[in-house]
Amino acid sequence: MTADYARHEHHEFLQATELAMADVGLQGALSNLGTTLGQRNKVAFAILPESGLLREKARSIKDEALADLETHIRTLESSVQSRGGTVHFAEDGADACQIITGILRQAGATRVVKSKSMTTEEIHLNPALEEAGFEVFETDFGEYIIQVAGQRPSHLVAPAMHLRVGDVAKILSPEAGETLPDDGPVLANFARRRLRTAFATADAGITGANFAIAETGTIVLVENEGNIRLSTALPRIHIAIVGIEKVIPKLADLPVFLKVLARAATGQKISVYTSLITGARKPDELDGPEEFHLVLLDNGRTRILGSPLRESLFCIRCGACLNACPIYRNVGGHAYGGVYAGPIGAVLTPLYDGLAANKHLPHASSLCGACQAACPVKIAIPEMLIELREQLHHEPGELGRIEALAYRVWARAMRSPRAYRLATWLATRTAGRIWPKRWIHRLPGGLSGWTNTRDFPAPARQRFRDWWENEGKDGHA
Amino acid sequence: MNREKFLARVREATIAGRAHRVHIDPTLPASVGYVGGGADLVESLATEINAVGGSATVVEDLDAARDQLLDLLALYQPKSALCWRHPLLDRLDLNSILAEQRVAQLDYESLSLIPSIAQREKMVAADIGITSVSYAVAETGSLVVTSQPGQERLASLLPPVHIAIVERSQIVPDLFDMFAILGRQIETGLPTNLAFITGPSKTGDIELTLITGVHGPGKWHVIVIR
Repeated sequence: MTADYARHEHHEFLQATELAMADVGLQGALSNLGTTLGQRNKVAFAILPESGLLREKARSIKDEALADLETHIRTLESSVQSRGGTVHFAEDGADACQIITGILRQAGATRVVKSKSMTTEEIHLNPALEEAGFEVFETDFGEYIIQVAGQRPSHLVAPAMHLRVGDVAKILSPEAGETLPDDGPVLANFARRRLRTAFATADAGITGANFAIAETGTIVLVENEGNIRLSTALPRIHIAIVGIEKVIPKLADLPVFLKVLARAATGQKISVYTSLITGARKPDELDGPEEFHLVLLDNGRTRILGSPLRESLFCIRCGACLNACPIYRNVGGHAYGGVYAGPIGAVLTPLYDGLAANKHLPHASSLCGACQAACPVKIAIPEMLIELREQLHHEPGELGRIEALAYRVWARAMRSPRAYRLATWLATRTAGRIWPKRWIHRLPGGLSGWTNTRDFPAPARQRFRDWWENEGKDGHA
Repeated sequence: MNREKFLARVREATIAGRAHRVHIDPTLPASVGYVGGGADLVESLATEINAVGGSATVVEDLDAARDQLLDLLALYQPKSALCWRHPLLDRLDLNSILAEQRVAQLDYESLSLIPSIAQREKMVAADIGITSVSYAVAETGSLVVTSQPGQERLASLLPPVHIAIVERSQIVPDLFDMFAILGRQIETGLPTNLAFITGPSKTGDIELTLITGVHGPGKWHVIVIR
């Protein structure tokens, strides 16, 4: 059952969360999260002087960039072209997959190495490439594991974090043709050897990008393993697929993000490898790709850019909100059922993939605000979720008849002081007097949806205004 | 997709989105987040390199650096070394050191003479990579390597061991200082590939437990000359 929602999107959320809560292996894997990544992030920001202001600065650069995005994209295009690169424009995922398969076919490529990229997950690039007959190797260690297992990533920066070392050994053993031990370094070394062959023989490397700098035409890639550097040094073609929100105007903007990104993600001051790639290799260089292609992806981003949810485009995909979130820490990434998990995933997935297909996600949060507090660009994630909840109520067929009627009556009562007074008088003198306890544990019929997962507060025995009139105003309380 | 249609849609959304801009204090000082490199750049760099799992040794001069390099060669016993061509490595007389130790030196001169498939095979098989740096950042313990003929990307990446030789004049205090220098190079063109290296290759992909050397070098030695 677990494996099923680890593979597919769009499942029944509550059912998936119950399975996740009962999954001993997953709970073991998740139990480390708060005390490791979640904690390191706090310490890293605490020891950086003025880190609050620096995060504010990162936020302001994103805001500025988006306020003139069309200009920056045009600048980026000409900068990339002036360094011999080619820029492609993809309206949606299908479009992007078609462009990428086209580039590969034209270059006569057959074998592709990929670095971890949530954007390629978003557009479902791997199935498209395999369908078109290309051999695809995920090269990030975690991504490699889940590619072999046929699963989906469960965390923005640690895609296989739902698996324990024993699971990984079981998954990789058939690949090795021998029984691999439950030993992390041995398993990593197996992946290193296996993937070296892929790197050395691949025709193309496909990466995402953490940032794209308009001024210089530079693609910035941040990682800890070295697989991105290998993917962009060995194959003869480099294709970067980049969402338009990743564009920043100037080279001087980059250090601001580098200083907050790794701290937020893992508590490092800077990740092990940060690559700035500006075009293909020069003719007399011995390594590096001969061709560079930049695929700019919209896939719903312009719809978000012009909406109250614009701020969600500030996201730099660090995963800090996942590590901080009490929901994520209990159910893991797969239960969310979308490409992007956790608090920011609950915002992004409905925006990219459609609200109707992901209507559970805006509610997959207690709105406690831990996500916003951990965010390196201070995205108001709870506000975004509330906005989505409101949009959801305008979706046709979203409310049950009883719920819709209840809201109508409620709205009517709240608009008129007399109606409100009458309603509260009635409630206190009926349910308030009959009901012996403060909480109602089970409501009847169509109302039981509320009490299945939480209690409903019983009306008080008297209204506040009556209490105030009788006792409160004289200070007897 | 049609470029014009794409850009028109971005333009429309950009304009509509301006109504939803966030309100940010415009008085943020430019120096916000500047950490600097402390009183002694050499010492700070070495401390940070050790903190991220590298092994930094501070030496007084070229002779001491040579001794240090010999110790490392004795430790790893490499058959072949993938090397940069760099003025600092020339002053160190790397060619003679490797020849004396009978380590095959793979560098731009030797590699560019052979066909590309053989070239690739030799590079992949190298036991050790020896480079200098273009810059180093004391704040973070980062080495900055830039690509050009003679400064191959793969030298600091493919072999399981990377040894870098750095001298004081190459060290800048803070990431912001580094980007100020790079900013002045925009006019003449940034290198095709520039990498900040800060530690041995790492992964935490299994149970968030640190493993080194997963794709890049697992051993990372830096010799810093005062």
